[in-house]
Amino acid sequence: MARYISRRLLELVIVFFGVTFVIYCAVFLLPGDPIAALGGDRPLPESVQQQLRLRYGLDLPIWQQYLDYLGGLARGDFGTTFAGQSVGEQMASRWPTTIKLALTAWTLTVLISIALGLAAGLRRGSALDRGVLLGTIVAESVPIFVMGVMAQYLIGITLGWAPIAGVSDGWPRAYLLPALIIALYGLAGVSRLMRGSVIDTMRSDFVRTLRAKGMSQGNVVGLHVMRNAAAPVVNVLAIQLGSLLGGTVVVEAIFNINGVGQLLYKAIQDQEGTLVVGVATTLVFIFLVTNVLVDILSSVLDPRIRHD
Amino acid sequence: MRGLLKGAGAASVAFALVLTGCSTAADGGEGAPAELVIGSSDPVPNLVPGRQSNAFGLVMSVFSPLTFLDAEGELSYVAAESVESDDQITWTITLRDGWTFHDGTPVTAQDYVDSWNTVAYAPNAFENSGQLAVIAGYSDLNPAEGEPATDELSGLAVVDDLTFSVTLNQADSQFPVELSQAQTAFYPMPPSAFDDLDAYGKQPIGNGPFAVTTGWTEGEPIVAERYQDYAGDEPTVNKITWVPYSDRLTAYTDALAGNVDIVRLPANRMKQVADDFADDHIYSFSGPAISYLSIPYWDARFDDVRVRQAISMAIDRDAINEALFGNLNSPATAWTPSIMPGNPDGICGKYCEYDPQAAAALLAEAGGFEGQLTIHFPGGAGHDDLFNAVANYLRQNLGVDAIARPSVGWAEFSEDRNNEVLDGPFFARWGALYPSQQSTLRAVFTSAPGCTNCGGAIIPEVEQALNDADASGSEDGEAYAEAQRYIADQFPIVPLFEESYNFVTSDKVAELTASAAGEPLFTDVILAED
Repeated sequence: MARYISRRLLELVIVFFGVTFVIYCAVFLLPGDPIAALGGDRPLPESVQQQLRLRYGLDLPIWQQYLDYLGGLARGDFGTTFAGQSVGEQMASRWPTTIKLALTAWTLTVLISIALGLAAGLRRGSALDRGVLLGTIVAESVPIFVMGVMAQYLIGITLGWAPIAGVSDGWPRAYLLPALIIALYGLAGVSRLMRGSVIDTMRSDFVRTLRAKGMSQGNVVGLHVMRNAAAPVVNVLAIQLGSLLGGTVVVEAIFNINGVGQLLYKAIQDQEGTLVVGVATTLVFIFLVTNVLVDILSSVLDPRIRHD
Repeated sequence: MRGLLKGAGAASVAFALVLTGCSTAADGGEGAPAELVIGSSDPVPNLVPGRQSNAFGLVMSVFSPLTFLDAEGELSYVAAESVESDDQITWTITLRDGWTFHDGTPVTAQDYVDSWNTVAYAPNAFENSGQLAVIAGYSDLNPAEGEPATDELSGLAVVDDLTFSVTLNQADSQFPVELSQAQTAFYPMPPSAFDDLDAYGKQPIGNGPFAVTTGWTEGEPIVAERYQDYAGDEPTVNKITWVPYSDRLTAYTDALAGNVDIVRLPANRMKQVADDFADDHIYSFSGPAISYLSIPYWDARFDDVRVRQAISMAIDRDAINEALFGNLNSPATAWTPSIMPGNPDGICGKYCEYDPQAAAALLAEAGGFEGQLTIHFPGGAGHDDLFNAVANYLRQNLGVDAIARPSVGWAEFSEDRNNEVLDGPFFARWGALYPSQQSTLRAVFTSAPGCTNCGGAIIPEVEQALNDADASGSEDGEAYAEAQRYIADQFPIVPLFEESYNFVTSDKVAELTASAAGEPLFTDVILAED
């Protein structure tokens, strides 16, 4: 196990350099000049543009810019944006919001989809089973911004139950509605997977044995089926957590939540290279780390899986 | 009404503090919480007046300009007592006595000179530096290559505590107008600002009616409260909070929910706004901005003036205005917006009126059009509907193979435009910061820095007419209208729409007014009594 973990950690380092370099080049290769575009409609004087290029090292070759960036990173400096804001500070102020939002959404996904999957799996073929299938597919097929704006009008304005913009009301009030919208999109997949997994497990020999020994249905499901059926689902859920962190862009925009998704979107639009690389790298890192954790967790849940 | 609210002043500040942004005006009378919540754009990178480019409303509340232009284009003096010149080259600015910054230090002529030097100094790389380019010595602080030899504008000289003189590069009768509210590079900063301009950019100390009490933090609201020692006209509100919205649509929805009092109307809600808000909650101010369909003068297919005129006549501006802008903008009839003093409205004549038959005939007369006509515009900025509609009209009425193509973003578009590689008509727009035809004409139709390549081939007569107008000293704009006569003859580019700056308000706002810059005056908002 230790060897496995150290190998995965080594992979992390390689992926880190690869990803930062690729993203750095990608932003650099975008058409147009970010400095000239800083002023929007009203162009900046040539002398001002020159100073800014000099200040941010844009006159240097790309490999040197990248090395300078890595050098800064080694000192814990994420660099600054073209407007002079510290990238590190910006990320520090926004990550907590996105993590809260993603974790809330993820918890909702876990609770709702496992409950739905379990219910559907145990009552296979019933009206409930078909209802869950239909409902989750409808929820997933409506575009996320349509769902978001609809929820704002219905729940935010008409009913007045939840704020529609910003997080000034704090957790959980301000986070529940956007988190629910995000959660809706994971439901169909995870609940289907849970359902299938439950059905498979219910059919297995050990369940028949347990039943034969006279164990109650509640104990069979609660103590044994759940644990065995959960193993594949935990894998998917954990990977979802990783992508949730990066996938909140649309919902953050609709609900005016100043999270990392917003930051990344703006940064790409404005070609703020250092910001894009900073955010994207942290996202990749989180994704990789959750993957390692998932592997470890799944071997705990199912001792048959061994990583050697 | 206004007097009553002024009187409510000090007593209600404490009371207002207790109430949150979404409260509606309470029991009226003495304790009315005269505070506003304004939806602002995000992000606001820097609030130094010489740097801000998307926080006009905030900076205009925290600072007071030397001169002010009201919605009728009438000039008055605010922080300045007078701005005078005999030859239009050397101007003497006299400040009003008794003005202080929010930190208590008096506003002096030296502060203005220091501030302007700082803004103009190239190594500082301040975004609004170009506004000072008219002052003598600007080019010494902004050399084409290398570091400047000096950090002081040679055109500025302090006479005494309240007087300083400004020498310009050339005669410019519009200088007092250029000092007005939206040219924020001309605002003064107190001595303490220069110690740490980064910190100052987060919590600016100004000379205006409102002092910033909660400075800028990423994604958080900025709060300003009435400055008790303000020497100018008293504002009608006590406290203003700017809440940043990353998406204008969300700000709009939040205004529907009553959580924010004033927000800018997003372009894609112009059609719908009349259903969502009551008439007296929708404000449309004519702005000093105009959009064009610019013509690539480097493409020989557009050399014949009749081709350009045919394109102009084939576009139904009224129909587009109704369908896309809910009639809030207005079709352009000249090359500058009609809000400009002395604007020659209608100088474009029949060529700005929709006439598909005449357009097709004119194009045929000119020998038709070869190949594909690609209209270029910056993507992701909400121009898609407009330029798709324009391409549609050209396709249907002129029988040309017209398509509209967005760029990846503003950066790609402006680079291709500056390097003359766009192979078809393209988006151009100029939002002037002061209402004078001079601003738009100079930026678009001369070789001066502004909108590069936006105005078609340079017409020497236009530049000459503008120089004459600058030197003439007349204020009615008649001399600038002269320049547009040459433009109308040559028809270098196609004027499209005069823009309006649109806002929606909550029930709390009884009346919103704007200045000539098209920006609402948050300090003069009249609040509803209930």
